[in-house]
Amino acid sequence: MSAPAILDPHADQRPAGVAPGRDDILVVDGVSKRFGGRVALDAASLTVARGSITGVIGPNGSGKSTLFNIVAGALKPDGGAVRINGRDTTRHSPAQICREGVGRTFQISRLFAEMTVLENLVAIAHGKSDVQAVERARELLDFLEITALRDRWGSELSYGQRKLVEIARALMLEPTLMLLDEPFAGINPRLQNRIVEHLDTLRRDGLTLFFIDHEMRIVLEVCDELYVLAEGRVIARGDPEAVRADPAVAEAYF
Amino acid sequence: MRIPLLILALGAALAILPFVGSEYALSFTVQLLMFTALAYSWNIIGGYAGYTHFGQVAFFGLGAYVGALLIGAGWHWLPAAGAASLAAVVLALVLGGAMLRLKGSFFAIGMYGLARVGENFALGFDGITQGGTGLYLTPADLKPIYAALAVIALALIYGTHRLDNARFGLQLLTIREDETAAEALGVRTTRLKIAAFMISAAAPGAVGALYATYLAFIDPATAFAPMTELTTIAMVLLGGLGTVLGPLVGAVLLSVVNELLWSRFPELYLGLVGVIILGAVLFMPRGIVNAVARRRWRWSAAPRAGLRRLADAVPAADTGRRALPETAPAPRAPDVSVRST
Repeated sequence: MSAPAILDPHADQRPAGVAPGRDDILVVDGVSKRFGGRVALDAASLTVARGSITGVIGPNGSGKSTLFNIVAGALKPDGGAVRINGRDTTRHSPAQICREGVGRTFQISRLFAEMTVLENLVAIAHGKSDVQAVERARELLDFLEITALRDRWGSELSYGQRKLVEIARALMLEPTLMLLDEPFAGINPRLQNRIVEHLDTLRRDGLTLFFIDHEMRIVLEVCDELYVLAEGRVIARGDPEAVRADPAVAEAYF
Repeated sequence: MRIPLLILALGAALAILPFVGSEYALSFTVQLLMFTALAYSWNIIGGYAGYTHFGQVAFFGLGAYVGALLIGAGWHWLPAAGAASLAAVVLALVLGGAMLRLKGSFFAIGMYGLARVGENFALGFDGITQGGTGLYLTPADLKPIYAALAVIALALIYGTHRLDNARFGLQLLTIREDETAAEALGVRTTRLKIAAFMISAAAPGAVGALYATYLAFIDPATAFAPMTELTTIAMVLLGGLGTVLGPLVGAVLLSVVNELLWSRFPELYLGLVGVIILGAVLFMPRGIVNAVARRRWRWSAAPRAGLRRLADAVPAADTGRRALPETAPAPRAPDVSVRST
C-alpha cells in the first residue's frame, strides 16, 4: 500500500497530518457543521483507505452521526469537503452519492416495512434483469445466512434481523464503499460477532467499509483504523491498540 | 395465472351483457366501468406510490371538456377521448414536477385545490366552455361507449396485475414505504413518481370525455364533482389500497350497494353509504382484499407472487459460501396487517 510520495497523485488533496502514499477511497477534509449555536463538527478530517474497515467512535453528541450524514449526503457541511474516489461529493445528494458506488445502512431500520425481504432487495437493484436481481438477492441472503427470512415482511423482523437485511440490501448495489450507521448498536454479542465475520469476508472481497458506532469492544475488534471523535473534533486516530492506549481517548470516552 | 383468467371471464361477461341485459343494466354497467377505471388509475399513484390525493377529478374534468369541445368541433367521440387522455397526461407531466414535491396531506389537499381551480376555469372561460350553462352534445349510441369503457377498465386491471409483479411496481412501493431511504439507495424517485402520476391521469382523461359523450352534456359542477372523487377513493379504500383486485372489488361493491340503497331509501342512501364506508375503514383499514390476504384464504391471490415464483425457480447459485440447510422453515404467507409502527 505504501508508495513513495512522489508517485502519489492525490498528495495535494490530503489533509495535513495524513500519511502519503495511501489509496484513499474517502477523504473528509476539515468538515464543520453548526446547528444553531451548537458546534456539531469542528474541522474534522479523516481518510478511509481502500479495502479497509475504518470506524469512527465517540460518545453521544460527539458528532458521529453528523459526520456520517455529511458523508452520505443527507447533510451539507458549513465548511470543508468530502471526496469519494477523488471526486468532490460535498454538495451531492444522497442519490448522487449512491450512484458513486456507495451503499448505506441506517441507524434506525428503514426497511420497506410492507414489502418482503426479497422485495426489499430486488426493488433497489440497478441495471439488472429480474432474474439477475433475484439471483443476486438469493446469493446475499445466503451469504448473510438469512435465507429463511426471504418471504417475511420487513415489519415482522427483529431488530437484529433488520440490521442484516439492511446490509444485504445495501450490497445489492454492488458498492465499492459501504457506509454502516451503528451496525452493532443494540444487538446481542453473538449477532455482533456474526456481523464482524461478514464484514471481514466482504473486506477480503475488496469492499471498503466505513462505519460509526459506540460499541467499544466490537469496534476495537473489527477496525483496521479507528478515529475517535469528541465534541466535534478528531481526538485520536490509528490502529485499535494505539487508540486504546491513548490517554486523550481514555479521558473523553471511558 | 388467476388474474388473466379472471380478466378473460370478465371480458366475456361484458361482451354478452349488451345482448341479454336491459337498457338499465347497460347504463348501470357503464357507470360501474367508469368508476372501475377511475379507481384503478387512482390506485397507481395513491395505492402503489402512496401519494394519496383528492384531485383526480381535475384530469377527469379536463378530459370531459377537451372531449366535449372536440366533439363540438366535429370530431368523432373516440379520437376525442384519445385526445382528452393525452391532454390529461400532459397536464400531469406539467403539474407533476411541482405538485409531487409536496408530501402527505399537503399533496392531497394541493391536488384538491387544483380540481377547484379547474372547476373555476371551466366557469370563468365561458367564451369556450359556456360557463355554468354547460356544453350540450348530440347524444351518441350507448353500446360503443360501453365497449370503450370495458376495454379501458379491463386494460387497467391487466396493467395493474403486470405492475404488481414488475420492478416498476416494487419501486413505487419503496416510495410509499420510505421515500428518503429509497432515494438514498439509488431509486430514481422523482421520475418514477411523475411517470406514475402521468399513467394515473391517462384513463381519467379518456373516461371524462366518454362520460360527457354518455351524458351528451357537461358543465363545471358535473365535470369536477367532488362526489366523483370521493366515490373513487372510497372504492379503493374499501377494496384494498395498492392491490390488484382491490379497486374492482370496491367499485363493484359500492356501485351495487349505492344502487340498491338509492332506489329503496332515496333520502337516507348517502348517509347509509357513509356508514358502510366508515364501518369498512374501522374494521378493515387496509380494505377487503388485504383483509382476505391476511386471513390467507386459499382462493385469494398472494400479492406480488411473480417475484416469489421467480426466486423459487432460479436455481441456487453456487456461491461457495455457507448455505442454510434445506430444512429452513417454509416461508409463510405474508401478513398484511396494519402495524402501529
